[in-house]
Amino acid sequence: MASVNALTEQAYQARDYKSDLKPIWCPGCGDFGVVTAIYRALAAVGRPPHEIAFVSGIGCSSRIPGYTTAYGFNSVHGRALPIAQGIKVSRPDLLVLAAGGDGDGFAIGGGHVSHAIRRNVDLTYIIMDNQIYGLTKGQLSPTSHRGRKSVTSMYGSLEEPINPLMYVLAYGAGFVAQGTPADMSGLAVLIEEAIRFPGFAFVNVQSPCVTYGEPDEQLKAQKAKIEDLRALGHDPADWLHGMDLAREYGTKLYTGVFYKNPTPAPTFAHAVSSLQEQLQSQALPKKDILNMFAPRQA
Amino acid sequence: MSTERQDLTIGMAGSGGDGVVSAGDSLITALALEGYYAIVAKSFGSQIRGGESSFRLRVSTEEALNIGGTLDIAVALNWEDFLRFGSELPVDGTSTVIYDEKTGVAPDKVPLAVQPAQVVAVPIEAMAKEHAGTEKAKNTIVLGLMAGWCGLARASIVAGLRKRFSKKGPELVAANERAFEAGILFAEAHPLRQSLAMAPPAEKRAKLLTDGNEIVGAAAIFAGCEFFAGYPITPSTEVMQFMTREIWKYGGAVVQFEDEIASVGACVGASFAGKKVMTVSSGPGMSLKSEILGLATIAELPLVAVDVQRGGPSTGLPTKGEQSDVFQAIFSAHGDVLRPVLAARSVRDLFGVTVEAFNIAEQYQTPVILLSDGELGQRKETFDPIDTSQFRLVERRRPFDKELDGYVRFRLTESGISPLSQPGMKGGNYLASGIEHNEAGAPTAKGEVHARMNEKRFKKLLPLKARRDLFHIEGDADAPIGIVSWGSVAGVALEALRMARKQGVRAKLLVPTLIYPVPEDVYQDFFASVERGFVLEQSHQGQFYRVLRMFVDVPRGVTSIARSGSNPFLPKEVAFKLRDLAREVQQALAPELQAQE
Repeated sequence: MASVNALTEQAYQARDYKSDLKPIWCPGCGDFGVVTAIYRALAAVGRPPHEIAFVSGIGCSSRIPGYTTAYGFNSVHGRALPIAQGIKVSRPDLLVLAAGGDGDGFAIGGGHVSHAIRRNVDLTYIIMDNQIYGLTKGQLSPTSHRGRKSVTSMYGSLEEPINPLMYVLAYGAGFVAQGTPADMSGLAVLIEEAIRFPGFAFVNVQSPCVTYGEPDEQLKAQKAKIEDLRALGHDPADWLHGMDLAREYGTKLYTGVFYKNPTPAPTFAHAVSSLQEQLQSQALPKKDILNMFAPRQA
Repeated sequence: MSTERQDLTIGMAGSGGDGVVSAGDSLITALALEGYYAIVAKSFGSQIRGGESSFRLRVSTEEALNIGGTLDIAVALNWEDFLRFGSELPVDGTSTVIYDEKTGVAPDKVPLAVQPAQVVAVPIEAMAKEHAGTEKAKNTIVLGLMAGWCGLARASIVAGLRKRFSKKGPELVAANERAFEAGILFAEAHPLRQSLAMAPPAEKRAKLLTDGNEIVGAAAIFAGCEFFAGYPITPSTEVMQFMTREIWKYGGAVVQFEDEIASVGACVGASFAGKKVMTVSSGPGMSLKSEILGLATIAELPLVAVDVQRGGPSTGLPTKGEQSDVFQAIFSAHGDVLRPVLAARSVRDLFGVTVEAFNIAEQYQTPVILLSDGELGQRKETFDPIDTSQFRLVERRRPFDKELDGYVRFRLTESGISPLSQPGMKGGNYLASGIEHNEAGAPTAKGEVHARMNEKRFKKLLPLKARRDLFHIEGDADAPIGIVSWGSVAGVALEALRMARKQGVRAKLLVPTLIYPVPEDVYQDFFASVERGFVLEQSHQGQFYRVLRMFVDVPRGVTSIARSGSNPFLPKEVAFKLRDLAREVQQALAPELQAQE
């Protein structure tokens, strides 16, 4: 989907979302492309930076909110989603982004993903999936493939990796996409579409680790492997086919939208505001709140 | 000839289906309507359904400070269940024991270690069957007995029965009214040797009635809490239940999260977004939350976390209160952290202390831990209305428009408090982080910045230590005997102090609302005249005593009196202890007199 505004009509430019903080990422890290794609997506959506909350966990990629001009929150390992949900539920007026690495999202924070999905809080969750722990210098991650050698798997990983795409599809996420900074413009469009989707939206980004990643994961190698889901004729409304394609995670590099619910479910914020409206007439004046404890038997 | 009682403590136990707890609820509701001060505590075995259950109710013409000492009236529907409650339902030689004749025990053979003052066997089950047609009305028979022998709240109890059973049809209403009447008639036909008649309330005006978990919720809403997140954990869950019922009405939201970590995380998020927030848990849940509490400290975000303490460690005694999370509340943090900890001494007190917790959190941009416990949380109290206009509600210091121009989130100020912006404020954009940051919020690993920021985070909380209003001191200012007690046990200490002083003991009591930080001078001043004393609390280690000794020169004669949870202190035993100390002080003054004895 193309952006709604032509570039010249945009109220905000990509540079308006770029902060002065210099990224700590290694030269050649995929995350540079991801942050640029986010700047572009935000400019296309056009919300001013101060109306955006951008939450992350801990890890190389979780530094990302600091590189934007949004209200950022570089929190603790694995808890970006709970914090982001707290923001969105209490302030539905804000645009909320959450981001982090594959370890942050699917290992230590894995327990939160399914619940954020079933709650359908309207936020966009971007995983920068590099199949390795980079910040702590090269340990096995939940998306590392079986046999992957690392400093914590000297003889090769004994485990199967998690499949983030199938995981979120299975739990019923309304929007599931995958992109790569190897196609930065395409990634920007996917993130924009995810932001515009009313409900929980998930974007898995194959963002390679230039320091601890394997050669065939790097951007150059990716460019040769990319297969655009649209070009393959995939209909994003077809969940079953999306699931089928998601099974190829780890072997094929599909980019595009695996699933987009054509009739999005009501968001959590919607349910909250209806409940508030329905019940507000029952509120006591706060100064008399203790009167609710007047005993009643007659 | 006996006079009317000003104070009665009633305990009743039975098995799950006996409706013991609902009898206690009916009774206290009736007492609240009549204008009595009362407290009721229910207690269960750990079964989900069935098993033994009990209540313990204290009714008084004056404010009831605790759930009372030995029972004046003990009601046993069967002995096995009654005895399972052990020291929670203490009987002595002054007690009247009432039990179901059906148990087949002779009045002089009741299975108690002491001979009670009077023992009455009542055919409770038989009467229930006869008058109501079902043994399910046993609890109503007992209510009739209480109304008859104690002269308690007849009309209000009947009104309550009508209301409770109206949904189940007129048949049941009539059956229960007959059972109630039968209980009264039995009592009238069998006058007690020692009367249990209760004096009328001082003022015949209905009191408010609730428990220590619901009132925390009400106080939070009053204080402006607009976001609550939690996870079920006994004995705290009723707070979340209350919030899920009420907070929407006031424009707030509540989410039952997938775990304890997510709940406190969401609170940090909502606080970052500009809302007053609260989460509630018990010991094990607080352990899970502690990493994110550290985040709230370093990101300087207001947050109230209530710990309704239970017996621990681990699952421990989930249904019983204890005061053993003092160390956890103060010291569970990683890194250098000063995190305010508050405690309340009664259900009514919890209202103001919860409001205070929000005020401190907002004022100092910090997480605050409020220590309640299973006893306070689960017990119901009747109480006088609270004038809510006395509370000033504090809002976090938000930046003025001109401060948003070149805004610096963690600016080092005189007070250590920096204006806190929130999403939506143009120009207030900043990066909140768990990583150490400079004034602007940018991540740093520089030692000197870390030191300055630690200093800032400690300095801003110093004014708390000058808050003398967070300490209640009662008794003789220059007394040689001084006791310190906190939380739910403070009510026992308070009553013991008043008892002992009536007997001429010169003593005083300090009850802190502020548990941490410990203001050294408050205690030094208090202990200045003190030679003997103790710190009374419900834990094995005497955790608060040990904390005091870290910060204060506690006089050598002041010891720890501490007891694990579910073994209540009785006001009388504490008063005896005070009398013993008075004797010791006296003997120390005149050792030669002692020798002559």
